[in-house]
Formats: sequence, C-alpha cells, structure tokens
Amino acid sequence: MPFMEFVNFYLMPGIVLGSIYALGAVGITLVFGILRFAHLAHGDLATLGAFAALGVVTIFGVSPWVALPVAMIVCAIMAIGIDKVFYDYLSERPKIIVVMSSLGIALMLRAVVQVIWGVDTETYTRGIVRPEDYWGIRIRDREIYTIIAMFVIVGVLWAFLQKTKWGKAMRAMSDNPDLALLSGVDNRKITMLTWGIVGILCAASGFFLGINTELKPLMGWTMLLPMFAAAILGGVGRVEGAVIGGLIVGIAEETSVLFIPGEYKAAMAFAILLLILLVRPTGLLKGKVL
Amino acid sequence: MTSQAIAEQPMSKNSAQQKYSGKPILTMTGVRGGYGDADILQGVDMQVTEQEIVVIVGPNGAGKSTAMKAIFGLLKVRGGSIVVNGTDIAGWKPNRIVQHGVCYVPQVNNIFREMTIHENLEMGAFLRKGDISESLERVYTLFPDLKERRNALAGNLSGGQRQMVAMGRALMLDPTLLLLDEPTAGLSPKYMEQIFEITRNLRDAGLSILLVEQHAKQALAFADKGYVLAAGSNRHEGTGQELLADREVAEMFLGG
Repeated sequence: MPFMEFVNFYLMPGIVLGSIYALGAVGITLVFGILRFAHLAHGDLATLGAFAALGVVTIFGVSPWVALPVAMIVCAIMAIGIDKVFYDYLSERPKIIVVMSSLGIALMLRAVVQVIWGVDTETYTRGIVRPEDYWGIRIRDREIYTIIAMFVIVGVLWAFLQKTKWGKAMRAMSDNPDLALLSGVDNRKITMLTWGIVGILCAASGFFLGINTELKPLMGWTMLLPMFAAAILGGVGRVEGAVIGGLIVGIAEETSVLFIPGEYKAAMAFAILLLILLVRPTGLLKGKVL
Repeated sequence: MTSQAIAEQPMSKNSAQQKYSGKPILTMTGVRGGYGDADILQGVDMQVTEQEIVVIVGPNGAGKSTAMKAIFGLLKVRGGSIVVNGTDIAGWKPNRIVQHGVCYVPQVNNIFREMTIHENLEMGAFLRKGDISESLERVYTLFPDLKERRNALAGNLSGGQRQMVAMGRALMLDPTLLLLDEPTAGLSPKYMEQIFEITRNLRDAGLSILLVEQHAKQALAFADKGYVLAAGSNRHEGTGQELLADREVAEMFLGG
C-alpha cells in the first residue's frame, strides 16, 4: 500500500476521530482528577451538545459553526445543573453511588434527546462534501477545523490551568483536596467551574462527531468506552495525557481495519484499555489518581 | 512561681493572663471535642501570647495534634471556647479561620506535590487579593533554598525542603498565629535544627507559634512556654526551662 494512501484513508481519519475522543477524554480526566469519580453520563452529555447545536441550526437557519458556542453554553449550564441537583446531593455518599447515578443521568439525557428530536439519524447540512487536496493529502475542511479546534480548545484550557488563579486552584484541588481547603479554596466554586468546563468540552466533542458523521441518540454512548480508554491510556488526571490517549485510540481504531474485519473496529478501544491496565495501569504519563 | 505550684493550681484564663504579660493571641478554655462521638480532648486550656513559641508535648494519643485540629476547625468542638485575637472561633470553618489570621501546617500531606514551589506559595496566598510579590520575597528570604528551585515540582524535593514549602505556603497569608504539627518528623538532625532556627526567627519577627513536637527536649529548650498534655487534658505547664527541669515531666514525658 502506498504511503499516501495510508495517510489519506487511515491516518487522517484516525487523527480526526482521535481529536473528537480527546475532547471527551479531557473532560473525563478532569472529573476523575478533581471530583474523583468516573462520569458515565459523559457521552450522553456530548449527544445533548450535538443535538442542541442541531436545534439552533434548524430553528435559526444558521451555520453549524455559529451553533457550536450556543451548544457549549447549553451543555455547561446542563452539567452545572445536573451536579447541583444530583451529584452534589450525593457528594457525602460513597463514590460508587455517584458513579451509578451518573449512569442514570446518561439514560435520562438520552431520553430527553429522543423525546425532543426523535430517534432518527440527522445531519447538520445536506449534501456530500468532497475532500480537498493539499500536497497529496486529501482532507475535508471540516476535518481540518476539527483537529485545529481540538488543539485550540485544549490549549486554552491548558493555559487556564497553568496560568490563572482559578486554574491553579483546580489543579490544587486535584492534587491535595484537604490542603486546598486549608488554603481557603471554595470546594463548591471549583466543582461548578469544573462542570462548566466539562460541559463545554462535551458539547465540542459531540458537535465534531456530528459534523464529521451524523447525529444519532446513541452517538455519545458509543463514544464512552473509547473516551475512557483514552483518559486511562494517557494517565487519569492528566490533560495532555488525555489528548495523546485520544489520538492513539482514534488512530488505532481507524488503522485496525487493515488487520482485522471492520466490524471489530469498536473493540480496539477495549483492547487498548485492557492492555494498558495490564501493562501500565497509571497510563503513559503517570496518572495522578489511579 | 514554680512549675509545681502551677500544676497544683487550677488553670484558668485569668491565671494564665497574669503570668504571661504579653497580649493574648490564642486562649483555649475547657475545650472538649473529637472525631465522631468520642471526646479526645477532655477540657484543654492553653494560651499563646504575642511573639512567643508555645510547645505542646505529651505521649502518643495525648491529643496534641487533635488540639491543633480543634483550633483550626477540623473537628467538632463540643465545649469550651477558642478565642483568637479577641473573637471566639470555635466551630468556624477552616477557610474562615485562615482569614482570621491563623495558618496551619499539617504533619503529612502538607504540599501540592504536582505543583511547583512557586505555585505552592501562590496557593498559600489564594485568599489574598492584589499583589503578593512582597510576601513571596519574604518567604524566599526566609528559605533561600526554595528560591533557587522555585520552578521545581514540590513532590520531587527532599523531606526537609518539603517542610519548608509547607511552612512557606502557610506564611503567605501573613498569619498572626502559626500552627505547626510536628514539622521535624522524619527529618535529619541537620534539617531539624534548620526548621527550629527558622521557627525562632519567625517568632523574633513578631509571629506567635504553637508547635506540636516529638523532639520535646530540643523544642522545650527554646520554647517560651510548654504544655504537657496527657489523655486529652492539661498535665503540666511552664516555661520551656521549667518543664525541662521538672523531674516528673522528665521521667514521665521526656524519657528520663
């Protein structure tokens, strides 16, 4: 197989898919690192984000790119609200109860999407977009935007965590919660801030999955395992690890069809997850939580 | 007044104030409390006045660290009062107590391991608004080792340097009262001496310090005052030298 064929048909789609996974995995790793539980409603929150953008597109007839910021705000408010009503209420209980409740939230979110938008497959825009050719690399504009958007969003988040007072407080809360409280950091504010950011990341990952493929009520749920695999692969609690993990899982899924039947593509995430837990449970970059 | 006389006399806020003339910073009176439903502290009285080092010594399980946590609002106080700078802070949450000028350095887990030394100090000043460069400079002057390695991750430092980061973090809010829970535990004699020297310098610079210390003899040697706790209540009280000279204290609590 010529090298360019590998790049165009396996590597580039892998990087695009990996970018979408990375956006979700960063959110998972934040919830894990700061709030200390596995957030199973993550995928369905992404579904909600994708459909919220669709709602804006159909109602106002605007471009999907205009709808993305709206979807981010909707998801951020939704995530903060879910935390206020459910997770915060359970915060004194064992973490496994919060994890199970997030599974319930996942089903509720999916039901809401199905009630409002139905169970059919939808798209943001009609018609086929042909890839452009850039020095032999065939790629669609929306795919370029997906990759760039992922690096920009994660880059902004990274700068926020490294440089700002509240970003540092989030890292402090993830590092040593007791000492953060002793330093006067308000637990409630950090929790709300975290959920706001997680909502934004979820909306982005759902939106980019939707714009590159199609919108289905199950779209987020099927992304949940690859996103968790990416977060664990990168080292739970590590933002940069989640990006690397997401890209690896995405590329592995897309290139796996070279060796195994396409129906088993989805099993790649599971295989990677198993392997990393066996060989290096702390992840590629040493995780802070597991 | 001899130490025997103090031990025989029932402790009260007034007697403590008469003996030590400085302005009281912390006055604990009959403090009871503990974790869950059990009272570990069975009525503890203590006073720290302006610009002095007060050491709490006593056997394991005497309630030394517990007394410190009670001051800092980390456990339930069921009786008595904890007056700091004229206000009873019993039952307050730690973040409010921090703003009231009390800072606490826990014995373990007292740094942010994944953050740099500089960021640890910045987190210490989290509640402060505006410029913190003066406080940073003061802490770096106090701990020159830290300034050199300001961008190193705190988790990669030696035990002694970690303790300096922990103390530096607590000093960033310019507290009037500093609570140190066994700052020299597990440190080499060299670092222990260094931490003690810094503690003395902080006092000379105007800070009041309450210190729980396993190295009781060394600490009492420079302490302005000491309390011996046993089974959750006061057993002895006196200046550091008085306690060191007291035969009963020496035999029972300082290992002969």
